[in-house]
Amino acid sequence: MAINTEKLGVVLQNFVTATNDVQGAALVTPDGLPLAACLPGGMDDERVSAMSAAILSLGERIGTELSRGGIDRIYVEGNQGYAILTSCGDDAVFLVLASASAKQGILMLEIKRSISELKLLLA
Amino acid sequence: MEVMRLVVTGPVGAGKSTFIRSVSEIEVVDTDRQATDETANLKAKTTVAFDFGRLQFGPDMALHLYGTPGQARFDFMWNILIQKAHAYMLLVAAHRSDEFYYARRILNFIKQRSQIPMIIGLTYTDSPDAWDEETISLALGYTHAGQHPPIIAVDARQRASVAQAVLTLVQHLMQSQGCLV
Repeated sequence: MAINTEKLGVVLQNFVTATNDVQGAALVTPDGLPLAACLPGGMDDERVSAMSAAILSLGERIGTELSRGGIDRIYVEGNQGYAILTSCGDDAVFLVLASASAKQGILMLEIKRSISELKLLLA
Repeated sequence: MEVMRLVVTGPVGAGKSTFIRSVSEIEVVDTDRQATDETANLKAKTTVAFDFGRLQFGPDMALHLYGTPGQARFDFMWNILIQKAHAYMLLVAAHRSDEFYYARRILNFIKQRSQIPMIIGLTYTDSPDAWDEETISLALGYTHAGQHPPIIAVDARQRASVAQAVLTLVQHLMQSQGCLV
């Protein structure tokens, strides 16, 4: 079955609007191409996708080379907010941008929920 | 121990990752991912962050080799890697003439950000479709005869050939530094 990109977009849109402090989300391929995105204005989805793929590949490399095992997520914490990368099956990476005021527990739960939803659409 | 950082850049499939794997003395740090764009027509896997290899060069000098991704969507990696590099090599597949224009784009991108010495490496020169050096240097925008950077043919799979190319790059770098001092 073909991937329903429209539905992917709707899931991301819902996630971004319904979750407090989440400012954007994108689903990208491991080689850095956008599958679906709902990003703040001024962010280019191609660029965001490529950056996500680059940092995830380095993170996974660190995981194996420095014996940290498989990588569940990568956290970038800035003073203005978070960027969280979570792998979403073999064929996709889920990027979430959240403001500094976000509650991390809620964020993790919501990410987990969205991922199971997205995985169904990608299967 | 002095460290010299060299960057290998160029279009997709020019042989950048192979180049670094051929000559590195350590196991290369690669960031290959399965290709899903038009790259997949050329090869199964593509670099998404960088390749890193190391080469001891004399008793008190180490060469650090960084290979960039080829696709333009990773241009932020080109920028990051080039900022700290001492010299770079533009690797171009001599038989893919449709990519020369794109190679020129990479060249312009880097030249706008850095003035470090560079040379051009040509791979696949043994292919029947390969263009000759002069024509390629023209296609890359070096329109004045004899004013192009050094051009060297290299077989990215052969350690000796790659080592020769690296040596040429280092020599070119030293010469350029000699001019500055």
